[in-house]
Amino acid sequence: MSVAVPVAALVLWEICSRLAIVSPRYFPAPTTVAWTVGDRLVAGDLAGGLLVTLARLAFAFALAAVPAVPLGLLMGIARPVRDLVEPYVAFIFPVPKITLLPFLLIILGVGEPAFVLTGASSAFFQIVISTLGGVQTMDPRLLEVGRNYGARGARLFWKVILPAALPSIFTGLRLGLGLALVTLVAVEFIAAKSGLGHLVFRHWQMLSTPEMYAAFALVGALGLVLTRGLRALQARVLTWQEDIGV
Amino acid sequence: MKAPGRWLADRWLTIGSPIALLVLWEWASATGILRAVFFPRPSTIAWHLRDLAADGTLWGHVATTLVRIAWSFSLAAVLGVAIGLAMGLWRRLREGLDPVFAVIYPIPSVLFLPLVSFLVPPGEIALVVTTAVTSFFLIAFTTTHGVTQIDRLVVEAAQHYGARGWRLFAAVLLPGALPFIFTGLRLGLGFALIVVVAVEIVSTSRGLGALLWLSWQVLKVEDMYATFFVIALLGALLSYGLVALRARLLPWVPDVGDR
Repeated sequence: MSVAVPVAALVLWEICSRLAIVSPRYFPAPTTVAWTVGDRLVAGDLAGGLLVTLARLAFAFALAAVPAVPLGLLMGIARPVRDLVEPYVAFIFPVPKITLLPFLLIILGVGEPAFVLTGASSAFFQIVISTLGGVQTMDPRLLEVGRNYGARGARLFWKVILPAALPSIFTGLRLGLGLALVTLVAVEFIAAKSGLGHLVFRHWQMLSTPEMYAAFALVGALGLVLTRGLRALQARVLTWQEDIGV
Repeated sequence: MKAPGRWLADRWLTIGSPIALLVLWEWASATGILRAVFFPRPSTIAWHLRDLAADGTLWGHVATTLVRIAWSFSLAAVLGVAIGLAMGLWRRLREGLDPVFAVIYPIPSVLFLPLVSFLVPPGEIALVVTTAVTSFFLIAFTTTHGVTQIDRLVVEAAQHYGARGWRLFAAVLLPGALPFIFTGLRLGLGFALIVVVAVEIVSTSRGLGALLWLSWQVLKVEDMYATFFVIALLGALLSYGLVALRARLLPWVPDVGDR
């Protein structure tokens, strides 16, 4: 079934498009789109767009993860830090991060730093919240056992708290990466002049639909690889904990 | 109950730090340490917010956005719960749709705008449908998971007591999945706000997202901040308000999504 349904849907689309039951101008046949993907990846804008999006994603993710994990941990173990930072996290977290784009555009000017930072901001808050949650929901018995065996301060942190929070941190990183991709592609669609999101926008405006669907499909493939791949990695690396992240 | 003094002593950092930041911002912007062009004084922003609200522009945009969210959310909720339940009940359907969903779900909803505008009349309908996409998948996912996570033993026990078909569904499966459905609906509503703002930025001249973007384009920085504040308020209302509402109205239904 899991192979048959997608294949059947694609075949149906192919037939409808070829027989012009649906307008091939708006819904080009899947084989046409696949051909375009191959063609444009080898010599065209698609490979460039993919690389630009990937580079932005890498920068945004690093910019978010490097400060967010330590901050989340610090908020988890130091009450004053949590009290100090929590109102801002709670205020910004539910806000659509794309709304930060115009602010970053006026402060930093139109360009890469504003685009990348907007993507980073959506990952940052997710990672902070997941990391903090990992420390807060850890089994208190683990702490007691650790203390009874003489673990204090740094030892307690490295040997007990960090391992206990690790699955949540990983979940936060995984969700954060997905959010960063979503926000970045939206930023590209709206404001940037390069990347996969911009390609979808441009080919939509030019009504070159095969190219539009090709870029669209690449975004889907990228998202699939990132979410499924990281989930498989998480199951492998952190075998001792169950992940329930949505 | 704790005495109010004790309560304040517990929270003084949480309450004090935003106030201190606002005061500091006000002072830095007034003395020119922060460039007032980019960081106008909070009091100026508050005045602009008042003006926007007084002449009615703000309410028009807020209403437009809220109506769009309501339509998109209803569409996503009805379809998402229905298809999610069906996928939870029938394994073959689940196996068939899973790979399709897995590919479509991670695609940012804004990208669906071109596709949707080919399918349905462009304009308001396309906008509402586009906004519904991500919420739909989220609600369908959580609903499916809600049905499949029900303990086999519970279902078997019910079957031994003679529950079949509709009765089994209404008395066992639906209540069992309910916490997940609610969590899905809450997350879906949050996403509807996120997506509607993005879509409004791209394609319309009305709504909060459009107001924010137009304010940027004509460099009305104070209006940008004011709009941002309203969007943040709406976000807080939708995500925290709904949690509180559920705790009040449906205290026996646990929320499974609180990380």
